[in-house]
Amino acid sequence: MSRIVDDPLTANYEVLENLRLELRRGCLILAVLAELRTERYGYTLRKALAERGVDIDEGTLYPLLRRLESQRLLVSEWREEDKRNKRFYQLSKEGKSVLKQLTSEWNAISESLGKLLNGAT
Amino acid sequence: MELIERYLQAVKSALPSKQNDDIVQELRDSLLSRVEERETTLGRPLNEKETGEILRKMGNPMVLAGRYGGRRHIIGGSLFTIYWKVLSWALMIALVAHAATSIAIAASGKSLIESLAVFFHFPGVALKVFAIVTLVFAAMDLLGARLRPCDNWDPFQLPPLTKKPARKSKFDLVVQLVLQAVFSAWWLTGLHYQYLVLGPGAAFLRFGPIWLKIYALFVVAALVDIAITGLGLVRPDWWQPTRAVRLVKHALGLLILFLLANAPTLFVPADVHRVEWEPVIKNVNFGLHLGLVVAIIATLVNFVRHGVRFVRQFFAHEQQAVMGL
Repeated sequence: MSRIVDDPLTANYEVLENLRLELRRGCLILAVLAELRTERYGYTLRKALAERGVDIDEGTLYPLLRRLESQRLLVSEWREEDKRNKRFYQLSKEGKSVLKQLTSEWNAISESLGKLLNGAT
Repeated sequence: MELIERYLQAVKSALPSKQNDDIVQELRDSLLSRVEERETTLGRPLNEKETGEILRKMGNPMVLAGRYGGRRHIIGGSLFTIYWKVLSWALMIALVAHAATSIAIAASGKSLIESLAVFFHFPGVALKVFAIVTLVFAAMDLLGARLRPCDNWDPFQLPPLTKKPARKSKFDLVVQLVLQAVFSAWWLTGLHYQYLVLGPGAAFLRFGPIWLKIYALFVVAALVDIAITGLGLVRPDWWQPTRAVRLVKHALGLLILFLLANAPTLFVPADVHRVEWEPVIKNVNFGLHLGLVVAIIATLVNFVRHGVRFVRQFFAHEQQAVMGL
């Protein structure tokens, strides 16, 4: 424990890792909602996100899908594909509206931060 | 594939039971898809080590299950499942220790009140156990972000697969229902016509007055028992109401046992003039009182166990928000 605190490189890494995770949380929700404008099941959704440069592990993705569904932003149904039952998710009507609002929010933040960060460098 | 099933079993054991089949089925599909993709790339089936690597990437099963749990503020999602298991075990050990002490005191010939007094210290001890375990885990949670104790786990150390207890068939339930009805009729009639229950013993002893005083409770208990079996037969998927009725059954049982244990005599001599039977009947009453103390403790443990499970499962349905994204 004291080793971790005393080592500035490790301490920085821990801080950076926590900040990175915090930064990613909101972004991942937005990415998942955006990708689910098209119906997908968990595995293909993860691959589609990875192809667009958004890596998300299953241990994070599946609970997130359940949470978004419980918030009525997604709808899901079990269907058979490739001889296996799969749970397909898609944005709900409410989800589409939330995605629209979040996208506006994201664009505004991105623009402001872009100016701020460019000015800072 | 057995390793995958062992992993899923570990996840399932820590998930809210109402949704665990659904969640596990989805996780199974995801894992199998990953395995298939890897096998296609390699052009051969995966070995155990490679399968284990996929599971390791999926994460510690307890942590994964914790992410499906509710929003918890003191203990984070990643530790909550382990915390809950440790807390349950600690409380169970404390309960068993109190029960054993209580039984030992009753067996030593002390009064029922003295015996139960020890057992009723349990709530205070349970509160202390809860506080200590919660504090320890809250501290671990605080440090856990740095130490990451859950990252070091080995898929090959997962417990072996266990077989599910088979659900009772309709035939078994019908037989059970008939037997319960026959037993209830025999018992409820026998309390009035005592030779039906006591047989030749009715010539020596009779039920004490307490049995008929609480006759209505016996009737309700019999009906509740029959209702539980009936529910299992007609609505096997109604697990929630069935558990609620089962809780009522344990509460009723507890009340009946408590009233019986508090009665000074459970049996009286059939002939009050035969003084030579008195020591025998006294011993019978003593033995039965002792048995009742044991039965009260066992029923109380069952009641608490079922109660905790019922409350947990009831609220698990409401709490689907994820903490540890």
